[in-house]
Amino acid sequence: MENVIEVKELTKEYKKFKAVDNLSFEVHEGEILGLLGPNGSGKSTTINCILSLLNFSKGSIRIFGKEMEPSAYDLKREIGVVFQDVAVFDELTIYDNIDYFCGLYIKDKTLRKKYIEDAINLVGLEDFKKFYPKQLSGGLLRRLNIACGIAHKPKLIFLDEPTVAVDPQSRNNILDGIETLRNNGATIVYTTHYMEEVEILCDRVIILDKGRIIASGTTDELKELAKIEEKVSVEVKELDEKYIEKITELKNVEDVDYENGLLIITYKKGKNNLVELIDYMKKESINYNKIFSERPTLNDVFLELTGKELRD
Amino acid sequence: MFIHNLNYSLKTLLKNKILIFWTFAFPIILGTFFKMAFSNIENSEKLDIIDIAIIENDEFKNSDVFKESFKTLSDESNKDRLFNTKYVDEEKAKEMLKNDEITGYLILEDEPKIIVNTSGINETILNYVVEEIAQSETIMQNIAQKKIQDAISGTIQFNSYDVLYDNIYNEVTNIIKENSEANIEDISNSNLSYTMIEFYTLIAMACLYGGILGMVAINQNLPNMSNNGKRVAMSPTPKYKVVFSSVLASYIIQLIGIALLFVYTIFVLDVDYGTNLSLIILLAVVGCLAGLSLGVAVATIFKANDNFKTGIVISFTMFGCFLSGMMGITMKYIVDKNIPILNKLNPASMITDGFYSLYYYDTLDRYYFNIISLLIFAFVMIGISTISLRRQKYDNI
Amino acid sequence: MIIFKTFLKVLNKCKAPIIMYTVFLIFFGGFNMKTSDNSINFVASKPDILIVNQDKEEGITKNLIEYIENNSNIIDVEDNEEARNDALFYRDVNYIIYIPENFNKDFLENKNPKIDIKSTGDYQSSLAEMMLERYLKVAKIYKDVYSSETELIEKINDTLSKEVKITITSKLDTNKLDKAAFFYNFTNYCILAGCIYVICLILSSFKRENINKRTIISSMNYKEYNRKLLISNSLFAIVLWVFYVLLSFVLVGDIMFTSHGIIYIINSFIFTMCAVTIAFLLGTLIANKNAVNGIVNVIALGSSFLCGAFVPVEMLPDTILKVAHILPSYWFIKTNEEIKTLEILDFETLKPIIMNMGMIVIFSILFVIITNILSSRKRKIS
Repeated sequence: MENVIEVKELTKEYKKFKAVDNLSFEVHEGEILGLLGPNGSGKSTTINCILSLLNFSKGSIRIFGKEMEPSAYDLKREIGVVFQDVAVFDELTIYDNIDYFCGLYIKDKTLRKKYIEDAINLVGLEDFKKFYPKQLSGGLLRRLNIACGIAHKPKLIFLDEPTVAVDPQSRNNILDGIETLRNNGATIVYTTHYMEEVEILCDRVIILDKGRIIASGTTDELKELAKIEEKVSVEVKELDEKYIEKITELKNVEDVDYENGLLIITYKKGKNNLVELIDYMKKESINYNKIFSERPTLNDVFLELTGKELRD
Repeated sequence: MFIHNLNYSLKTLLKNKILIFWTFAFPIILGTFFKMAFSNIENSEKLDIIDIAIIENDEFKNSDVFKESFKTLSDESNKDRLFNTKYVDEEKAKEMLKNDEITGYLILEDEPKIIVNTSGINETILNYVVEEIAQSETIMQNIAQKKIQDAISGTIQFNSYDVLYDNIYNEVTNIIKENSEANIEDISNSNLSYTMIEFYTLIAMACLYGGILGMVAINQNLPNMSNNGKRVAMSPTPKYKVVFSSVLASYIIQLIGIALLFVYTIFVLDVDYGTNLSLIILLAVVGCLAGLSLGVAVATIFKANDNFKTGIVISFTMFGCFLSGMMGITMKYIVDKNIPILNKLNPASMITDGFYSLYYYDTLDRYYFNIISLLIFAFVMIGISTISLRRQKYDNI
Repeated sequence: MIIFKTFLKVLNKCKAPIIMYTVFLIFFGGFNMKTSDNSINFVASKPDILIVNQDKEEGITKNLIEYIENNSNIIDVEDNEEARNDALFYRDVNYIIYIPENFNKDFLENKNPKIDIKSTGDYQSSLAEMMLERYLKVAKIYKDVYSSETELIEKINDTLSKEVKITITSKLDTNKLDKAAFFYNFTNYCILAGCIYVICLILSSFKRENINKRTIISSMNYKEYNRKLLISNSLFAIVLWVFYVLLSFVLVGDIMFTSHGIIYIINSFIFTMCAVTIAFLLGTLIANKNAVNGIVNVIALGSSFLCGAFVPVEMLPDTILKVAHILPSYWFIKTNEEIKTLEILDFETLKPIIMNMGMIVIFSILFVIITNILSSRKRKIS
C-alpha cells in the first residue's frame, strides 16, 4: 500500500502552548483514517497544517510523495476539503454555490455540470437546487458544505467534523456518502469526536489528546488497549451488600458497581463470564430484569489512556 | 477561471442587499435630502422684499426726498424694488411690529428714526437705505450751499434770486443724475453655487463607500478572513487570479453605482459638475479606484469580522467627508486654509476638490494635482495590501 | 429585574454608535455656536470684504479703503488669485474689490476709472455693493463741485458719516436663544438616531424568533414582559435625554436656567418619548439586525433634513415644509424656533407651543396604537 500522506514530526506552537506536538503518521491509499480526540485536541490544526494553510514550527508534510506548499496546484487539484464551519455564500443558491467552488478546479463546463449533479445526488440535495442556504436546516446545510468540498472528485478528502450538530437522518446520509466516496477510490481523513462514527466508518484510527498521538491502530487493536474484555450490565431492583462482595470475588471480575438498580460488572479477560454470572445469580435467587454484555468502546480506551471521558 | 470567479464575485456582491444599500441607495437618498434641504439656501440669501411701515406725519409729508425715494423703492414695477411700504400712524406701526408683520418702521422727526425688533439683515438694509436717503439730503444741501457761495462770491452770474434758485436746483439735480452710476464691473465667475460642494462630497462618499465592496470581495478569498476563503485557498486556482478577479468585480459594481449616482444627481437633482465631461468621468474613475484600494487595504490589514471592517471604512469615509465639507461647507475651507496637509492626505477632500476645481476654475492645474494625489493614495493603499496579500501561509486562521 | 439586566448587557454592545452620535453633536454644536458678544444694542450685519489695491494708498484711494474698512469686516487671505477665489466661493468673503492702478489720479482727472469686483450674490454682497456704490456716487458728485482734494475728502467723509438713529424694542437675548435653538434642533438627529438605533437593536435581539418563542413559553406574563421591555427602553431614552440636557448647560450656558430654557428642556423630553414610540414601531417592523443601521440613517437624517434640524427652517422650500408637517420632528423644531421669539411667557403666548407639543403627543399615541395592532397580529400568525 502506498502512503498518500506522510507527516513527520509536525509541531505547531502558538504563543502560549503547543497545539500539535511532534506528530508523525501516514495515511494509506484507499483507507478512511479517523482522527479522534476531544475538542481542542489539535485535530483541525493538524489538518490545516497538512493543507499548508498554517505555518508550523517544525516537521515535514508530503502528499502523494510531494512536498505540500501553497502553490502546489497539482496537489491541490486532487484534494477536497470539508471544513468544520459551514463555508458557503448566503447570496448564492445551492447549485451556484457548488458550481462556484467546483469551478475553481474544473474549467470544462459540461464536465462540471455532471460533477455537480453527482455531488448533489451523493449528499441527497436533489430537491433543493434552487434554494438559498438560509432556507436549509442545519443538517441539509452540512450536506451542502460537503458537496462544495468534494464536487471536483478529489482523490484525497479531508472531512473535519462534518456531522457536528446534525440530525440522525442527515448523519446517516453523510456517513453513507463518505462510504460511497471511499468505494469510488478516494482516500479519506476524517476527524470527529464521535467515537461511534469512527467505529462504523474508519479503517484506522489515531487518537489525539493535547496535540499528541496517544494511540493508533484499527478499532480492534485499540480496544485491546482498554484492558477490558467485557462489560456486563444487570438490572436488579434490590441487591444486598454481601452479594456485591461475593460477585467481586467471582472469576475474572475486575470491578463491580451498583447504583440506581443497575449493576455493572467489568471483566478483564476470559470467556463465558456471562454464563457464570447468570449461574451465580440463579443459585442465590437474585431477581433481575434485563442482562446484557458489551464489548468496550473507544471511549473506554480513551478513559483508560487519559483518565477522562472523550466527550466533556 | 478568471471569468468564472469574476462572474460569481459579481453575483455574490450584487445579491448582498446591505452592501448594495450602502453603496447604491444610501448616496442617492442622502443626495435627495441634500437637494430638499439646500435647494433654497442660496435663493434665501438673496434680498427679499422687506415689509416696512412709515409714520405718515407732517415731517414725512414735507420731505420730498424721503417721499420720492420710498415711492420708487416700493414701486412694484421697479425691478430693484426693496420694500413693501405701509403708510400708517404710530399706534398701528407699533402693533404691526409686535406681530412681526413688518421688519421695522421709520419716523421722521428732527432727524429720521428707525424702530426695529431685533438686529438682522433686513433691519440692516432698512438702516442702510434710510441712511443713504438722509445722506443724499445732505449732499443736496452741501452742493446748493457751495453753488450759492460761488454765486455770491461772483463766480456765477445771476439776475434774480428766483432764477438763481431754479438754476442751482437744476444744476444740483443734473450733477446727481449724471453721477448716479458707479463704474463697477462684476468679474466673478458665474459658477458660485457653494451648495454644489455638498453633492461633490456625496460623490466622494460614494466612491469611498465603494471600498466596502472591494473589502467584502477580498475577504471571501482570504483563508485567514473567512471560511469560504479557506476553501478558495485549497483550490488549484492561483491566489492572484482569484484576488484580482474579485477586486475587478467590485470595481465594476462600484463604477455602475457611481454612474447611477451621476445620472441621478445630474438629471434629477440638477447638480452642476462643470462642462468637461471626460475629466469628470476620469475623476470619478480615479476616485473609485482610491475607494477600492482603501477597502482592499482595510480588508487585508485588520483581522476582524466584516462588521468591524465596514465600520472602519464608514468612519474613515464620514470623517473624510466631514473634513471636506459634507456637514458644513465651510469646514473644507477652514481645513484648507489652516491645516492644508490634512486635506491633502484625505481622499474625500481630493475628490471633492477635484470636482470643485472643474466647476469653479478655468485652469486645470488644481484638478490634475488632485487626480495625481488620488493615484498616489491608491498606490500606497495597494502597496500596503500586497504585503499582506502575498502571504500564503498563516500563523493563525 | 432580569430583563433590565439583560437589557443593559445588550446596550453595552451598542455603545460605539451612541458615542459617535454624541461626538457629532458636541463637535457640530461647539463648532457652529461660536461665542460672540451678546450685547442687546443694534449690531448692523457687516459684509466681509476683501480689497485688492493696485493703486498707491493716497487721496481718494486711501479714503475709499478707510471707508470700507470702517463699515465692513476686512478679510485677509493669501496674496494670490486662487486663495481669493476660494475665499469667495466658500463665503469667507462676500465681496472682493479690485482698485485699479492709478485709480486716485484717474478719478481726479475725471476719467471715471472702472472698479472690478467679485461678488457672491447674496445679501451680504448686496450690502457691500450698496456701500461701494454709495461712496463712488458721493465722491463723483462732490468732485464736480469741490476742486480741492482735501475739501473733497472732508466733505465725502462728513456726508457719509451721517447716521440714522435706530431703536431696538426687543429685550430678548437672541444670540443665546439662537444657540439654544440650534443645539436643540440638532438633538433632533441625535435623539432620533440614538433611540431608534439602540431600541431596534435591542428589540431585534429580544424578539429574535427562537428567543421570542422561549419568552412566550416562559412563566412570565407576555404583557408584563412587554411592559418591562418598554420601561427599560424608556429608561435608556431618559438617560440619553438627561445627558443631552446636561450637555446643553455646558454648551449653551446660563440661558438654559431661564424659563425659556425650561421650555426647551420640556419640549425635548416630549420629543424623546415620541422617539421611543417611533423606535418601538420600527423595532416591531424590522426583523433583520443588519437593516437597522440603514433604516436609522434614512429616518433620522431624513426627518432632520426635511424639518430643519440642520438647515434653518426659513431656508427650506415651502413644499418641503408642507410635507414635513407629517413628521413629529417638524413640531419639535417648530417649538424650538418659536421659543426664540417669545418675549412674554403667559398662557396666550405659550398656546401655539402647547399645540405643537400636543401634536407630538398625538403622534406618539398613534405610533403606540399602530405598534400594538402590528404586534398582536404578528403573535396570532406565529
